[in-house]
Amino acid sequence: MLHKKLEQLGAVKQGNFWVDCETYHATGNTTGQPSKLLYVMHNSETPLSCMALFEGGPGLSADANFDVLMVKLKSHFQNAKGHKVESRGARYRYCDFLVKIGTIAMSSSARGISVEVEYCACVIPGDCWNLMKEFMQSFLGSNTPELPTVFTNKPEGLCVPVDCMDTMSQYLELFSKVRKQQVMPGSGVR
Amino acid sequence: MEAPPVTVMPVTGGTINMMEYLLQGSVLDQSLESLLHRLRGLCDNMEPESFADHELVYLLKGQQGNPFLLRARRSLLHPTAPWHLRYLGQPEVGDKSRHALVRNCVDVAASHSLPEFLNEMGFRMDHEFVAKGQVFRKGMMKVVVSKLSRVLVPGNTENTEPLSLSYLVELSVLAPAGQDTVSEDMRSFAEQLKPLVHLEKIDPKRLM
Repeated sequence: MLHKKLEQLGAVKQGNFWVDCETYHATGNTTGQPSKLLYVMHNSETPLSCMALFEGGPGLSADANFDVLMVKLKSHFQNAKGHKVESRGARYRYCDFLVKIGTIAMSSSARGISVEVEYCACVIPGDCWNLMKEFMQSFLGSNTPELPTVFTNKPEGLCVPVDCMDTMSQYLELFSKVRKQQVMPGSGVR
Repeated sequence: MEAPPVTVMPVTGGTINMMEYLLQGSVLDQSLESLLHRLRGLCDNMEPESFADHELVYLLKGQQGNPFLLRARRSLLHPTAPWHLRYLGQPEVGDKSRHALVRNCVDVAASHSLPEFLNEMGFRMDHEFVAKGQVFRKGMMKVVVSKLSRVLVPGNTENTEPLSLSYLVELSVLAPAGQDTVSEDMRSFAEQLKPLVHLEKIDPKRLM
């Protein structure tokens, strides 16, 4: 239904996109505290990069060899293979907006839908949030979100340019919510 | 266009098994000029690149075995360039007649949050140093002539003191696994630098 609304608006489909997230947990934990989870994410918008984040902690953007390094680190960080979450779908362009609608899947079962809206002409959230909200209301209606916390939590406020880590933090938040949800009966995708 | 800083490695696809072939030697400060003169003659015809890098060595102590070592390097001359993270594996055991030290090598370019991120992963900085010098290239071979300096106050790269009265000379090649002619080429190049500098295969275990 979202696809139809976007096409009615005049958006043009421009291929596909994917975002994935793998979870690693630190082994060798001697203090008895729950071990930290390291998330390694990839985005088809930046295919040569790898983003690594700790929830609520520092993030790192690196090149694709970071995945090779994680393989070398496998005795210290184990890949929780069953926890891999990814979102795949179509990429639409409408003037200066990029809208990506994907199906979120975990272990081949569909868990939800992700909608990413990017306003390509501006990198300062404070300057374009109102425009983005208006655009989103035209096809999301009452599902339009509020300003993401990743921007409101920044000490410098909304006047700082965004980067790919902000996008990945938002996807991580979304994927974490999806992981915590119970699987709905009959929603398995084969 | 500015020459890329020496810490940036070329992007090569499918690099799960890149190996670093290495020969090392040193020259006393007073012999530096003669070595540089010969290198300018032997190496590819381009202006040698000068570099000044700050390297931090991080260790992750696991439950057993040796700690995992990572080297994080940033350019002092190009402060906005990405950090270079390098993992070097154990030297390949095998053919004793192989002329160079061969180790698995993984190079990752990373953003400026690298030190904080490594700390969060559990790595702790073991030591840091500043390396300043020049890089020469000959085909796939890279010759780095550098002066290593100790950092006296942690994090302060202005205040350093040289570790020795010599320059470290390293001849290295980064190539996919299985290329046996590489160490032969390196050995014949090293021959041309004698007697100014003797480049040899070192055993890192002896230094631990």
